[in-house]
Amino acid sequence: MTSSLPSLAIPGQRLGSVTTFTAGPGTHVHHSHVYASIAGPVFVDPAQPKSQAKSTISISRTARVKTTPSATAASKSKPKYNTLPGVDSVVLARVTRVQKRQATVSILVVLDESASSKALNPLQSASDNDNIESILSSAANPENHSSSDELRFQALIRKEDVRAVEKDRVVMDEMFRVGDIVRGTVISLGDQSFYYLTTARNDLGVVMARSEAGNMMFPVSWKEMRDPVTGAAEQRKVARPF
Amino acid sequence: MTDRRRINGPPGGTRPPIFASSLESTSDIVAERPQRQRQPNELRKIFLKTGLIPSASGSSYLEFEPSTSLSAARSKPKSVIPPSSSLKLACTVHGPKPLPRSATFSPNLVLTTHVKYAPFAGRRRKGHVRDASERDLGVHLETALRGAIVAERWPKSGLDITITILEAEDDRWWGDAPDSHDAAWGMMNVLAGCITAASAAISDARIDCLDLVAGGVAAVVADETAGRETTSQLMLDTDPADHRSILSACVVAYMPARDEITELWLKGDNSKSSVGTDNRGLGHEALIDGAVDAARGAHSVLAEAVRESAQRFAGLPSGDFT
Repeated sequence: MTSSLPSLAIPGQRLGSVTTFTAGPGTHVHHSHVYASIAGPVFVDPAQPKSQAKSTISISRTARVKTTPSATAASKSKPKYNTLPGVDSVVLARVTRVQKRQATVSILVVLDESASSKALNPLQSASDNDNIESILSSAANPENHSSSDELRFQALIRKEDVRAVEKDRVVMDEMFRVGDIVRGTVISLGDQSFYYLTTARNDLGVVMARSEAGNMMFPVSWKEMRDPVTGAAEQRKVARPF
Repeated sequence: MTDRRRINGPPGGTRPPIFASSLESTSDIVAERPQRQRQPNELRKIFLKTGLIPSASGSSYLEFEPSTSLSAARSKPKSVIPPSSSLKLACTVHGPKPLPRSATFSPNLVLTTHVKYAPFAGRRRKGHVRDASERDLGVHLETALRGAIVAERWPKSGLDITITILEAEDDRWWGDAPDSHDAAWGMMNVLAGCITAASAAISDARIDCLDLVAGGVAAVVADETAGRETTSQLMLDTDPADHRSILSACVVAYMPARDEITELWLKGDNSKSSVGTDNRGLGHEALIDGAVDAARGAHSVLAEAVRESAQRFAGLPSGDFT
């Protein structure tokens, strides 16, 4: 079954019948056949032997680390699919504006579930053109702001979405500062201009921040970060370090 | 309206003028008229390569094979004016990117297309501002691509497709005076090239498509061969400079895997060729079928270019696919 599949597909190429496969990302169904909709390597996710489900066929949107096309390699290193933020996707965003009721952020990177649970690995990042390390280091630098913000997706963190407890006591100024890098999840695609993010989880919140003196700070508690040079503490909604 | 913000070249031609007194004889120039050397169903070779513009999320470059008269003139130039031209264009795809603030919510991908001739692309100099024909090409291109893109997979985002035409096709042989059945025939070849190149660039940007959509041109031409009366004939992938008069032409954007046409543009007068001859092979259906055949030919090049791009992207060595 797998042997009849090409290792590389181009849009419009027929991959198999819907009686044997389920259409995964990068494919579409037409006249009860699964067709490729992007160009790239073909992956088959084998079905669980017990369940009646069919194996899922999908096309990777990112380059693979391994070059050997085999089903086992595919299941180990899950390929990334969509570079757009969707509901429940974990994103890294830079704070661009802090207001009394909300903070405006611009989304830098969309991570997938496997990548967010591990250390940040540039090879698993979603946006295939961008290098995470370079994005984050340039983003934390206050000089080069707002030039590329127009090209990034904008999002809002509302006051009530910052943390799960004591929602009414949240003071936005003590949660985020402009220039912070925040990890959050998307709760809604929002209106025409903004996505909505939440940081109401232990592993979500500020991951990188600079102090008023301009030094990178390290987290000391869930609501405090400290400057290693001056020793001054600043308040943030800190993400749990891994 | 004149463009006052940029430095415009002198209006008029982009090629140096030739004065009648400098010609040795008028038969010289007539002898230079290019002739179609290909079979009626033989297409020009296409060069297509993706991923040449690193700052764009997807890009492609397309070039048509120069006609035999043009390549002969390039190696041994007899005149400063090339006898015909061959299409060259570059396509960039930017996106998916956020919509501008003023835009309303869109659950689908918002497609915008821009087609621009370089000032030096045609025999008449183009301005820096897009004119009516360039906007028209943009609309045609958008129609062709809209049917092929799976827009609902990219909510709230926009896709910009920009095509720069570096060398356009001629509308007629440059030595001919404009006459009655004269139209912008070269534009149709340009559109077919734009569709093929844009499809490759979209695929290079990894935007979901139903199929690779390829463009093709067919035309009914009436060539006056010496000593015989005018005969009409259906030709694929016509170079307007090769023919004395084109009666009608057709461009399609065609998806071979589904056998669907997303864009159809017919131009010209079809009645002249079919009336009286009882030849049903020159009707508009035959014309569309011819254009579809040309698009199938372009698709084979397109598929190979996209496959090459996917291989490069996936890090596979070339030739390692089944």
